[in-house]
Amino acid sequence: MEIQAVEEKNVLVVRISGRLDAVTAPEYESKVASLVAGAARVVVDFQELEYVSSAGLRALLMAAKPLKAAGGQMRFANVNGSVKEVFHITGFTSIFPIDASLAESVAAFS
Amino acid sequence: MIKVDHLSKSFGSVEVLKDVSVEINKGEVISIIGPSGTGKSTFLRCLNLLEVPTGGTICIDGKNVLEKKADLSLVRQRMNMVFQSFNLFTHLSVIENLTLGPIKLRRMERAVAEEKAMSLLRLVGLAEKAHAFPGELSGGQKQRVAIARCMAMEPEIILFDEPTSALDPTMVSEVLSVIRRLAREGMTMAIVTHEMDFAKDVSNRVLYMDEGIIYEEGSPSQIFENPLKEKTRAFIHRIRSIRHRLISPDYDLYAINAEVLFFCEKQIISRPTRNSLLLLLEEVLQLYTPYLSSAEVELTVAYSEKSGTIEIICECTNEDAIPLAENAGEDNFGLAIIRNLAERIDFQRIAGKSCLTVEMKKF
Repeated sequence: MEIQAVEEKNVLVVRISGRLDAVTAPEYESKVASLVAGAARVVVDFQELEYVSSAGLRALLMAAKPLKAAGGQMRFANVNGSVKEVFHITGFTSIFPIDASLAESVAAFS
Repeated sequence: MIKVDHLSKSFGSVEVLKDVSVEINKGEVISIIGPSGTGKSTFLRCLNLLEVPTGGTICIDGKNVLEKKADLSLVRQRMNMVFQSFNLFTHLSVIENLTLGPIKLRRMERAVAEEKAMSLLRLVGLAEKAHAFPGELSGGQKQRVAIARCMAMEPEIILFDEPTSALDPTMVSEVLSVIRRLAREGMTMAIVTHEMDFAKDVSNRVLYMDEGIIYEEGSPSQIFENPLKEKTRAFIHRIRSIRHRLISPDYDLYAINAEVLFFCEKQIISRPTRNSLLLLLEEVLQLYTPYLSSAEVELTVAYSEKSGTIEIICECTNEDAIPLAENAGEDNFGLAIIRNLAERIDFQRIAGKSCLTVEMKKF
């Protein structure tokens, strides 16, 4: 799994690629938690994510917690394929706002 | 009719038959099935004394044929054999192949032997080939001649050693239909075969041989539909599997994934199915992670070539492990994924262990 962060129109965009599973979930949790510290608007871009398991979902939740506590918001973009399926199965779609594209997510903040 | 007790046969240090005991009664049709190299053919060859058993007894009508004074040629006349590779005399015509034994061994008049041979050739549908030579016949025809030649000795039992294994698929049915006809007429037969559908509908009893013993025996419906033992089940359903032992919560998920992917490639399992299998597997293993600091889990991933089903089986040394319990206050995402991907979930406690079987949905 790889994580990259860029700023776009005052929004922090976190791009994740590869697999978000029991092995990589702790890394995601700690990296994203530190990346989003101090940010208020965050979009996680799932375009390049191939696989997510329940451990990955839990890491997504945990990393968003401090942001939420500080009054910030996290949106998800480009949730497709098998990742989208896992989101549906687990009801994860109702936990975070999900947009069809990164542009839509960024626009939703403005 | 035939009673075999504690039969064993070794070739040098290789013990092919360990301890085989079975009774064959008059009129029975017995199919002998099992993986290659488990002693099925050796067992037949021992019955007919083509191989000398290392130990045990074979009694025909109460007489032990392994005693030194036993008449070998009489034993073989009563218990004749049909071979995989036909074993016809190629320099003799079909009818001569059929009459040789009755004339030489049973001192039958040539005319009587020939008349009988013709009626047997009619029975196997080859009367018009009576004067042909084996080289002029197809494989299926050769095997039908071999069956007729066997019948010519008026045996009380026929032993078939993989009678269709050397045949083209197009010729299998002509040979099987002859054997079916003999079964209908009440001939006692023991048939080593890999033709499972045939074994299922022609036999009264099925012997599953494995590990040099009769591992399981029963009616065709029991063996083919409800086998009791694991190896029989694996053979009948053509189950291929891999195993992995997990001994700590820090198991190497990626190593397990790699093994499973390699297995899937070998079994030509589609990519979407592989991906779902990896997800299901990770979720099932996650359920066991809390128990792995004090217990071990034997993981099996099994694929049935016959039905196309995939099962994940976890046998945990902690009998009290309840992996499927929903935990209040937790997200239960894993359980939701498992329930969505599973066709069937079965949880049992057996002999101090807990066993979870998850059959995956087909995609």
